[in-house]
Amino acid sequence: MALSTATKAATDALSVNRAPTTVGPQEVHKWMQSFNWDFKNNRTKYPTKYHMANDTKEQFKIIAKEYARMESVKDERQFGTLLDGMTRLNAGNRVHPRWGETMKVASNFLEVGEYNAIAAAAMLWDSASSAEQKNGYLAQVLDEIRHTHQCGFVNYYFAKHYHDPAGHNDARRSRAIGPLWKGMKRVFADGFISGDAVECSINLQLVGEACFTNPLIVAITEWAAANGDEVTPTVFLSIETDELRHMANGYQTVVSIANDPAAQKYMNSDLNNAFWTQQKYFTPVLGMLFEYGSKFKVEPWVKTWNRWVYEDWGGIWIGRLGKYGVQSPASLRDAKQDAYWAHHDLALLAYAMWPTGFFRLSLPDAEDMAWFEANYPGWYDHYGKIYEEWKALGCEDPASGFIPLQWMIDKGHDIYIDRVSQVPFCPSLAKCSGSLRVHELNGQKHSFSDEWGERMWLTEPERYECQSVFEQYAGRELSDVIVEGHGVRADGKTLIAQPHVRGDKLWTVDDLKRANCKFADPLDKF
Amino acid sequence: MANYKVHDNPIRDEWVAKLGKVTSVKAATQFIQDFRKAHTTPLRTEHTLDLDYLWIESKIEEKLAVLRGDAFVDEDLLNLCTTGEAAGMVVKHWAQKMEKATDKYSAEKILIQFRQLYKPPVMPVNYFFTADTQMGSRLMELRNTNYYATSLPDLRKERGVKVLHLGVSKAAH
Ligand SMILES: [Fe+2]
Ligand SMILES: [Fe+2]
Repeated sequence: MALSTATKAATDALSVNRAPTTVGPQEVHKWMQSFNWDFKNNRTKYPTKYHMANDTKEQFKIIAKEYARMESVKDERQFGTLLDGMTRLNAGNRVHPRWGETMKVASNFLEVGEYNAIAAAAMLWDSASSAEQKNGYLAQVLDEIRHTHQCGFVNYYFAKHYHDPAGHNDARRSRAIGPLWKGMKRVFADGFISGDAVECSINLQLVGEACFTNPLIVAITEWAAANGDEVTPTVFLSIETDELRHMANGYQTVVSIANDPAAQKYMNSDLNNAFWTQQKYFTPVLGMLFEYGSKFKVEPWVKTWNRWVYEDWGGIWIGRLGKYGVQSPASLRDAKQDAYWAHHDLALLAYAMWPTGFFRLSLPDAEDMAWFEANYPGWYDHYGKIYEEWKALGCEDPASGFIPLQWMIDKGHDIYIDRVSQVPFCPSLAKCSGSLRVHELNGQKHSFSDEWGERMWLTEPERYECQSVFEQYAGRELSDVIVEGHGVRADGKTLIAQPHVRGDKLWTVDDLKRANCKFADPLDKF
Repeated sequence: MANYKVHDNPIRDEWVAKLGKVTSVKAATQFIQDFRKAHTTPLRTEHTLDLDYLWIESKIEEKLAVLRGDAFVDEDLLNLCTTGEAAGMVVKHWAQKMEKATDKYSAEKILIQFRQLYKPPVMPVNYFFTADTQMGSRLMELRNTNYYATSLPDLRKERGVKVLHLGVSKAAH
């Protein structure tokens, strides 16, 4: 069989540019620098508006043998610690149950992000035309494969050692039930791998990695440790040490297009869209996971956000790219407002829709409520009172047959799904920056919750066709959807999701059926 | 809306039965082109299959791919559309069309129509993806030039949306 063009080009290049006979790191690096993927028609198979320069340098300096040595040491530390030391200390069971539930979401979702980062980095390898730059992206592919395994391992470890494995072990099976997966796929999948290749790099490297891995992968280790989880910091810090080099790759993407006149035309609007895309999901979801999914608090999310997203990224990192024409995104102001309230809005909706998850949620207790009010003045009057009312109505007790989602529907607090981000939004209860917009196009109704997303949809409607759970399940009874979507534990009757983290009083399919809660699409009212 | 299960539902059964009657490359090509025009992309003329169209479309693709595999010799698999047209000529024709497009709305229509008519297995992938990448890059250039120049109200008008509700924004600007 004939060699593929790619294999032939690589073989030809190798015969011209012989590999070094010694393996000193400097020599190997020099060789890799001069190694060239000089395909005849070096045009990427992915669409892009930009032209990447041929002479871009690579900042990913440690490569080949050194790289493999370093990563194998890191892997040994992680797996050795987890499988030996941590297991003897019963670390998997010393986690506060609220946090144990949070990690069902955090690690399963990050695994999806890492998996798509493999494809994204590979796409950039294909798109770049400088040999050095290709090296940098290719090494990132290897890193992202490693991270995918690591995240998968966290859930595997907890599934084996944590007292309540449901959700750690089979999160994906239940992905079609609730709205949370869809929004996550928007940022972690579509954002990284669909559309313009350079825009994908901006989403993944310039925003996802340079901005949100600090709270997502670093801050989370502090919250984990504070809540008794020694497993997550071991793994996530091992991941984050690679992310620094990925941020450098993002920097080089910008450098490589800086001299292309196209960059000045498109780069800042792509960056603004990428930032808004990522923040629209991560700002509320991370804040919710940290503050509502923990017993012991580290610091208010708004403070973490301001330090890492606003000052460190929006100011310093983007500032360093200023000489290439990169500007701080205009949507940063709205995002700043969302950093204060959006996670409280989302937590309320998530709890209202608790049966649709693959994890357990819990009501804020008196201590939590005092903490929320102290750090977000006005919290109690708006959110706290609703939680108290739900508790009084028996939302935790399967005998009550009370689902807060039904309360939302009865009180006219309709929940809409933003077509672009897939993040749920309740206009009558939200304190975040957004506002409801409902449009009809070509016979179909669409809801949006902010102007940045609305513009993205108006510009590229074929890109945002994902249906909301309300459109999918309108008319169907909740327990029926959950049974079909695999939201039930191995005993065939107990739900994976629960509205509390206690050991008894678990809700079953029958309890849910008694509540007789039906999906309705609020867009039908228009 | 649909009060039936996601999988194994009556709509899917109905389409599987319809598809069962399709037995030639020619009929399957017509079937998939008609289906894609009526039920897929923002240009679709019907919304009745919004919940199931992707599944049904995949079944039609499967069927056409099998029929085509049986009917075509190797050389044709790489170069011929199931419409009988030479893929190279079709691609050239659509690339020229795209070249002439001067605004984003007409360019968008061209690319979507191209996909409705020729998305594999109608056109061999080796031709389709290259053409789609080139046309897509051109569309992106048109869409992303002066991205913020048009106000949202004007953009809604250009797009032809009917505004059903506009809430009051609490945003900072
Ligand atoms: Fe990663
Ligand atoms: Fe990364």
